[in-house]
Amino acid sequence: MTASPINTAQVRKSGRFLFQASVVLLCAWVLVPIYFLLINTLSSPETVASFPKPFWPEFDLGSLSFFANFAGMLKALKNSIIVASLTMVMAIAFGAPAGYALSRFDFRGKETFRVLILLTRAFPLPLLALPLAVLFIRTGLDDTLFGLALVHTTLAIPFAVLITFSLFSGIPIELEEAAWTLGCTRFTAFTKVVLPLIAPGIAASAIFAFVISWNEVFAAAVLTIENRTLTAFLLQSLGTSPLHLKFAGGFILVVPALVFIFAVRKYLFAMWGIANR
Amino acid sequence: MSFKMALMGATAAMALASTAQADVLFWSTQAKPVEETQAMRDQVLAGAGQKVDYQANDGGPWLTRLQAEIEAGKGTIGVLGALHGDFSALKAEELVDLSSVDLGGVKVNATFAKLAKLGTDGQPYLPWMQASYIMAANKKALAYLPAGADINALSYDQLIEWTANVEKETGEKKFGFPAGPDGLKHRFFQGYLYPSYTNGVVRSFKSDAAVTAWEKFKELWSHTNPGATNYNFMQEQLLSEEVWIAFDHSSRLANAFNEKPDEFVAFPAPAGPTGRGFMPVIAGIAIPKTAPDMEASKALIAYMMKPETQIATLRATNFFPVIDVALPDDLPPSVKAAGDAIAKMSGAPDANPGLLPAGLGDQGGAFSKVYSDTFERIVLAGQDIRTVLDDEGAILNGIMQKTGAKCWAPDAPSEGACPVE
Repeated sequence: MTASPINTAQVRKSGRFLFQASVVLLCAWVLVPIYFLLINTLSSPETVASFPKPFWPEFDLGSLSFFANFAGMLKALKNSIIVASLTMVMAIAFGAPAGYALSRFDFRGKETFRVLILLTRAFPLPLLALPLAVLFIRTGLDDTLFGLALVHTTLAIPFAVLITFSLFSGIPIELEEAAWTLGCTRFTAFTKVVLPLIAPGIAASAIFAFVISWNEVFAAAVLTIENRTLTAFLLQSLGTSPLHLKFAGGFILVVPALVFIFAVRKYLFAMWGIANR
Repeated sequence: MSFKMALMGATAAMALASTAQADVLFWSTQAKPVEETQAMRDQVLAGAGQKVDYQANDGGPWLTRLQAEIEAGKGTIGVLGALHGDFSALKAEELVDLSSVDLGGVKVNATFAKLAKLGTDGQPYLPWMQASYIMAANKKALAYLPAGADINALSYDQLIEWTANVEKETGEKKFGFPAGPDGLKHRFFQGYLYPSYTNGVVRSFKSDAAVTAWEKFKELWSHTNPGATNYNFMQEQLLSEEVWIAFDHSSRLANAFNEKPDEFVAFPAPAGPTGRGFMPVIAGIAIPKTAPDMEASKALIAYMMKPETQIATLRATNFFPVIDVALPDDLPPSVKAAGDAIAKMSGAPDANPGLLPAGLGDQGGAFSKVYSDTFERIVLAGQDIRTVLDDEGAILNGIMQKTGAKCWAPDAPSEGACPVE
């Protein structure tokens, strides 16, 4: 048998080609639709309706300026950011301790607790919205951003708990024990040793909470009137709007979330254990 | 960073929550497309003499919010705007009786006003505006009209022949039908196909004439653009020339006429063996029992019914007035086109107008689902017509028995619940 170096080189070459092709394909998968969204947003209504689509935007700002003049847009954008930020903080404030408890302590009903947390996602919001709205109106939480953030927090907590649970489980308990022997209390060991290690992961689950809140429509539409979030404000109307406004509205909805995710992207990678690249 | 942001957010939230709002909240399911919402705010409600906050919603959030306010006994909604079907799903006692509102001598269409009584003695809602479904075609398609066919008096057979001609000549299926998830296909079957072929909607649901109707529709479907199951608003496909001939709600065709008035024509729906079936769309306005400022709400209702407001609403939404009023000459192309087509349709010698389903209460959705399901099973899944009609007819009969709804035109009147024969 003769080992052929050509073959190995060839295999390596096609392997590299396959790798690069997959990378290009995956990037295109994400980028091409966003690029077309951009082109159509910056096109006149006639161009949007025509086919084939041009590859370069013609920088017609008609559709975007429509939204700039649409009453309440900026306020809705601000509301969305506030609600999503509140959700992010509350989901972590409640979710991370629960995740820590699940990973470090054995207690009765632990498994049931884990299932119960997931169950909060089992009921569709349209079913919950009516009693929630009645309760909110009676307690005065109705039409407040804080009230809506509470609902979104409930939606985000299962993810926060499960993500932080797996993060905490990835940190050996021995590290904490070592800290205890060196004079740390349970709390200081947590803040000085564990927290710095999982901070990127916490940030990642916070991003999830942010996105969940950003994308939620139904509760936002029912529970807020004057203080609508951008999604509740736009998404319902966009489905029935003409094509060029659909693109522009979609663009407006996507961009803030994209910017946010881009800004915190390095934390996102921490989720898969390749922190700080 | 995020903590600081959240703190700021929390403070802002508290501050926002405490600002009292005195505007009348107009909670509507109509004029939902963003430019229509904009037009309602700028052109219609700006002159109301009080600040009005017009909010357009999907049916789900609209109803959930309303129910929550009624259940809580305290509300922010001042005026409701919705379709007849949405109101008939509510309990009449949840709405304020509007018969005492002073409309200043405006004459409201009597048929619609009666429909709006929802079977009570009062006036739980008032008709607000009306529309209908029509046909639209690209002028390029006119060259392929069958010999001797008059576009304003087409029959279903001629429509099928026309679409077949177009397919033969251009090689493309150019008929469009809103069979998408948000398309209004069920209204075509209830208000157009069934009345035109069976002179009924419920009684004749599984008659032999209905079998013929579905056979004809299958034939039409064979010349329909296969993308039709994604079509919701036919104006889009007309503008992109994906289709040349289409059926839809007049306000869902409006953009095509407004953007390229010279390229499209509107014309009446076709006729079948039992006449030219067609159906109106009625939207209404009402006040929920929980309205925070009853006087302001009533003033807004009176304002909405004024002739000038009705004309402004027509320009904004492409929905026509429900009161006696002369239309001005300078209306947008979509309004002229649709108005002409509707006038020809209702004035045709073989016109067979249907009414909206009445007395179905909250079963309105289930009623429409029967027609959509029948369409999906017969046309999309290719199941045997007779079997499907018998199956779905049993479901339809169940709905009618459960609600006890009497027959409405074009079905012959019934004593009790309208039977499926």
